[in-house]
Order: sequence, then structure tokens, then C-alpha cells
Amino acid sequence: MRLQLKGRGQKPLLALTSAALALPAIAATQPVQTELSVRASRYEEDSVSKRQVLSGSDQRYEIDVQQFYLLMPVARDWSVAVGLAREHMSGASPWGTVKGIDGDSALIMTGATIHESRTEVSTTVTRYLKNSSLGIGITHSEEDDYEADAVTIKGDWDFNDRLTTIALDFSYSSDTLRPSAALTFGRVPRAEKQTRSFGFALTQVLDKFSVFQAGLSFTESEGFLSDPYKLRDVRPETRHAWSVNSRYRKYFVPLAGTLHVDYRYYTDNFGIQSHTLVSRWHQDLTEILQLVPSVRYYRQKKADFYLPTDDFALPLNVHQSSDHRLSTFGAVTFGIKGILKIDDWTVTASFERYLSAEKYGSTSADQEHPGLVSFNVASIGFDLRI
Amino acid sequence: MKLVALFVLLVVAGCQSVPSWERGVLARSDMQLEGSPTEALLNSQLYDSKEASAGGLSAAGAGCGCN
Repeated sequence: MRLQLKGRGQKPLLALTSAALALPAIAATQPVQTELSVRASRYEEDSVSKRQVLSGSDQRYEIDVQQFYLLMPVARDWSVAVGLAREHMSGASPWGTVKGIDGDSALIMTGATIHESRTEVSTTVTRYLKNSSLGIGITHSEEDDYEADAVTIKGDWDFNDRLTTIALDFSYSSDTLRPSAALTFGRVPRAEKQTRSFGFALTQVLDKFSVFQAGLSFTESEGFLSDPYKLRDVRPETRHAWSVNSRYRKYFVPLAGTLHVDYRYYTDNFGIQSHTLVSRWHQDLTEILQLVPSVRYYRQKKADFYLPTDDFALPLNVHQSSDHRLSTFGAVTFGIKGILKIDDWTVTASFERYLSAEKYGSTSADQEHPGLVSFNVASIGFDLRI
Repeated sequence: MKLVALFVLLVVAGCQSVPSWERGVLARSDMQLEGSPTEALLNSQLYDSKEASAGGLSAAGAGCGCN
């Protein structure tokens, strides 16, 4: 309450109305204020150990991201949201994995010559009824070698005195790949994939200090699911993925802090199984300042067709991939975020450190993939509510 | 479908009623299930492109994620 309602410039009636309407379980309610957000982020991957690089650069990716988001109530029962994201990437990435001189896996990296930009535009229109809402959103993403168009339909229904919400969503995405230098390197010149996703979530207010959500989602992808930039990467053309999710929020009055716990179990027909656990603590330091330490733990089991090194003797129709993202590994992320609220403005600054390694996984792999990545992300964001 | 309905009934039946004048804490920004839309989208892009699992914990994104 301290952060949300005691801003000096905030109109009391508006603040009270916002408080009553912005409950997590009342997703089907029209926003009462216009929200404007801008955020800039810098992402930097650690270099690869030189002794694990057979050829190419040991530098990895650096990405600069700029984001804009606007949410406006329109008329009495509509809202419109518009999002814009721009990314510029540069650096090098693994091209393939082979056996090195010492018998361990070694990377064939590209040169640090990759420069690429991506732009994503999205808009969502939502209609609000008495105890429900229906939203339709479209997204377009474009980069030199990749284009994606997606549509999302989402419905929310409140009941039980608005303490329970059921949400259903469906999304469809159509993606087109046009890998660069396809003729020179023998890559597929053009390929497509389609993705359909269904989601269900139940949100319940447990008491006046806690909220819980449980969800289930299914995603089906068809088409070209391989990585066209690897020397040898042959994946199945269909992927069926299930995930079970839960989220919990609890405010502790004596500590003036809020605990977040999120968990996801994921499995798919590639043979991947993973667990993700995220925990954050929102600590009020003063009436306008909040500090948020966080930790995220992730672990996954490798895909059935994952190989530690590329096998060029296998026929082209046999599934194989040495992509480190399909290997057995685990990852830990440590984060810290500061949130400053002054009148209608909120300033957020955050830093995260992501470390991935085979030893963080639950089961031991034969050999750690040398391409496993560690990175830093720093962000600053400004939000205005009027 | 019956299992889902039974689950919903059990959850709803096991929870306290919270009158509207006691919902102030629930309205705090840090009690919301979804954080900032820009932060959720950024996290989705980062983790989905570095791990084999995708979706579920944050907003969906788009893009190749090849590298």
C-alpha cells in the first residue's frame, strides 16, 4: 500500500479505484489509467575459453534492446495496447561442435562479424464485459533473415465475488526463415514453420495477503525446426510441448515485503524435460523505494537426438544436433532490482547474472558442452501512469 | 474436463472470502502475477533463446533465436 497509494500527486479516488480494480483476480476489468513504459537493456555474453575454440572468434553475443509500451483505456469498456521493441545484435556464435585434439568437444565458431537488427511491433485490443474480457492481439517481428507473424486470442472470466479468474488463450504464429549466404554455405534458402499454442490458467485469491495461479499450456510446432546456421543440425519437423505452471504471491506485513515463487515443469517429444524455479523478494525500504533480490534455477535433460559432437557420417535424414541448448545442463540466475516511485513515475534499474553449466543439472552428462553460455543483463526503465 | 472442474471447485471452496475493503494489499503492484510487460517480454526473449524450454512463465515472444 505504501508504494502504490501514497504518491503525492495521486488523486485519492483514482488511487482507491485503481486499488479495488487492479486485483490479480480481476483481469477482466478495464484499466483506469494510461500506462507508458520505455526500457533500455544491455546484454553481454561471456567469451568462450580459447582452448575450447578450434576456429573462429571466442567472442559471443552482445545485444542492445530498446522497448516501448503503451496501454490506454478507450471509451467505457475497451483498451488498446501497443508494444515496440528494437534489438541490435553483434558478435559470434557456435557453428558446429567437433572432437578437439585432446578428445574433448571443441567449437567451430563464426567470426565476430554478425551484425543483425530485429524489430517487433505488437498491438492488442481488449473488450471488457461485466465479469469477463476478450482480447485479440497481433505481433509482427522482422529481421534480415527471419520474419514472424502471430495472432493471440485471450479470454478471462471472473467469478466467486471476483476472487477467482479463469483464463484461456490461443495463439498462432507463422514464421519464415531466409538464412543469409544460403548458396555459399549450402543452407536451406527458405523455410517455414507454424506454431499453435493453447493455455489455461486458474487464479485464486487465497486470503487478503496471498494469491495463487495454476496453469497448463500445450504448444505444437510444425515445419523447419532445425538451426539453419549450424554445420549439421537435423531436428524432427514436429514438436509437441506441455508445460505446467504455478505462481504464488504473499505479502508479509511484519516484514513489509512480498514473496514471489514461480515454478514450471516442461516436457516435449524431443525428449527435453525441465524444471524452472524463480523466487523474488520485494522489500519496501522507504515509502518510495523498493529493492528486489531474485534467484532463478533451471535444469533440463538433453534431447533424444542430441550429440556432443557433430557426426557427419550419419545420413542427412537422421536426427542429430550438437546445439548446446539441447544438452543436459542447469543454470542459475542472480538478480537485483531497484524500484523508485515518485508521483506518477516509476524508475526501475536491474542487473542479472546468468551462469550455466553441466554441473548445475540434475543428471550428469557425458561431457559438458563448451558452448554453454553465461551472460549479464542490465536494464533501466521508466513508467508513467496518468 | 471433469478433473479441471473438480480442481477449480476444490480450490475455490478452500479459500477465504475477502471483502472488497480488505483488498488493498492485493492491489499492490508487487502482488500482481505479471510484472512489467517490457520486463516480461525481455525475459521471455532471453531465456527462450538460451534454453530448450519455452513459454509458461512469461509473455510469448517472436524471433529466430538461432544463435
